[in-house]
Amino acid sequence: MRVAGVDIGSLTTKAIILEDGEIVGKSLVMTGHNSRLAGRRALDLALKDAGIGENTLDNIVATGYGRLSIDFFAEQVTEITCHARGAHSILRDARTVIDLGGQDSKAIALDENGRVLDFVMNDKCAAGTGRFLEVMAQALEIGLENLGEVSLQSVDPAPISSVCTVFAESEVISRIAEGVDKVDIAAGIHQAIASRIYAMASRISLRERFVMTGGVAKNIGVVKALEKRFRTSFFIPDEPQLVGALGAAMIAAERASVKN
Amino acid sequence: MGIDSMEIDSMIENIKYNPYSWARSWKQKKGKGVIGYFCSYVPEEIIHACDLLPVRIVGRNAVATLSGAHLQNYCCSLARTSLDMALEGKFDFLDGTVFVHTCDTMQRLSDIWRLNAGSEEHFDIVLPARLDGENAFDYLREELSSFRASIERSFGKTTDEDLRRSIDIYNRNRELLAELYDMRIKRPELLSSEKLYLIVTMSSLVEKSIHNSLLETQISDMKRSASPVGLNTVDEKVRIFGIGSLMEEWGFLQMLEEAGATFVDDDFCNGRRYFEQGITEGDDPIMAIAKRIFERPICPCKYKVSRSRVQEIMKRVQDAGAQGVIFFQFKFCDPHAFDYVPLKEALERASIPSILIEIEQGSVSLEQLRTRIEAFIETIRG
Repeated sequence: MRVAGVDIGSLTTKAIILEDGEIVGKSLVMTGHNSRLAGRRALDLALKDAGIGENTLDNIVATGYGRLSIDFFAEQVTEITCHARGAHSILRDARTVIDLGGQDSKAIALDENGRVLDFVMNDKCAAGTGRFLEVMAQALEIGLENLGEVSLQSVDPAPISSVCTVFAESEVISRIAEGVDKVDIAAGIHQAIASRIYAMASRISLRERFVMTGGVAKNIGVVKALEKRFRTSFFIPDEPQLVGALGAAMIAAERASVKN
Repeated sequence: MGIDSMEIDSMIENIKYNPYSWARSWKQKKGKGVIGYFCSYVPEEIIHACDLLPVRIVGRNAVATLSGAHLQNYCCSLARTSLDMALEGKFDFLDGTVFVHTCDTMQRLSDIWRLNAGSEEHFDIVLPARLDGENAFDYLREELSSFRASIERSFGKTTDEDLRRSIDIYNRNRELLAELYDMRIKRPELLSSEKLYLIVTMSSLVEKSIHNSLLETQISDMKRSASPVGLNTVDEKVRIFGIGSLMEEWGFLQMLEEAGATFVDDDFCNGRRYFEQGITEGDDPIMAIAKRIFERPICPCKYKVSRSRVQEIMKRVQDAGAQGVIFFQFKFCDPHAFDYVPLKEALERASIPSILIEIEQGSVSLEQLRTRIEAFIETIRG
């Protein structure tokens, strides 16, 4: 059976093709301003990667905030359910998923079957999301991909009191003006994110083991700060950005087999 | 005087976009006074008996601005947007305003309102914080009598007979709303959540006897359209119990139904908490009103030793066959936030999933909420 999962996020769009449970194609593109086109492009690229045609697919599930704006026939499932399912397929013992994406942060509690028990999600605040890190990296003139590594060199992180993207930026700028080392500011930013995410996640019951998904999981600085704050180690999948699309594809497969 | 179904729809539409326009034009036509109030503990019957129209102030769907000069940002948007409207003169049709001491914000708002935006007459009713015990009851009865005396000083004497007539009209409204709710618990598909809360909200915005005939029509329409169970295959919606203060996010209610769920019962201030428990009439109408305030479902602003809000709500959640609970609260609403914790724990013990939605009038991001609500429904459906 061939199925696809397409995850249209605020920043990137991802697609996964599964054939009898094995990943045979995948893609990742920037979402841009048109989430309909992004969904199309990601699906086409993943199909190309797998070397198959769309008409050979048995089912497609779309997820992510652009899930309702697609032009191909697919079922819609929220990214909360998809991330839980995807994380569970990568690590059977996963009971808590921390998903930090482009504009969303979520904590999800799941059961032994990968079903969602409870979840919390940020409201409008972008603190701790990819967007927040982009703004901070820019303010520090450090490449986004190096921000995490750089922060690990700090021995004396500069406290950043606000995690509001707007206020934190001006706080960072005033730390720069005070002559604080960039490395320490970067570490302070990651600590602030970790505190914020921990406070949000504490609303649900947190159980071992923890899996981190979403693009922010690629930032080692955030991962280390979170592990310190949560006092546990996080399992980071090889491709944390693709977990939602993987979960979507798995749900597509389950639903297709129920129908047949 | 009957009201047909088309009139109901146009009244609902009107209330949805201009909650106060009905009262404004009623005043113009009848030349009678209109009294604004905030809280469901206000004894509307006493106002109604003075031949006045009590109208509930429900804020508005816009970001608060002017009120920032008087209220902190950590006050709820209901207080802030309502004060905005008062400062803009949007309540110039009110002849008076009644405040009940419930939460801290409302208590402070009363003074701010009186000094900066007040209508001609201003009344405060200071309810006891504990709604049980003999002393609290005597105090409450006194407070209601003195409210009656002050409103009569401004708007003319009433007799106990006048008050009993108003109690009858209000009791009838409560009976009809309870009937509507009972029908919906059994057959939620007969009335959408959005229309339900528009109808209950309207009850506090229009003349009660007119609302009574509207409800009579609505109920008989629903009875007619209800085919015997089993004949029609309706898409079964997920049954949700709602908890919070005012439910007036109409877009949210539409979205909830689109996502495949519906409210079957609630503990909203413009829901069951508004109409549950009629007034049992005795010789003294003030005593009778005080008794209802003591016995009706308790608001999180109030306290009772003898009754647990958690137990009462849990029983109602189970009686309604609810599969999940949505806490729908104004940001910064302390009383609801306090009660959320034990309620959520009780729901967890009973394995009933719940979700907390906090909103501010005028800045609700519906699409973001859609993801949370859909995920919540996916969790319930498994």
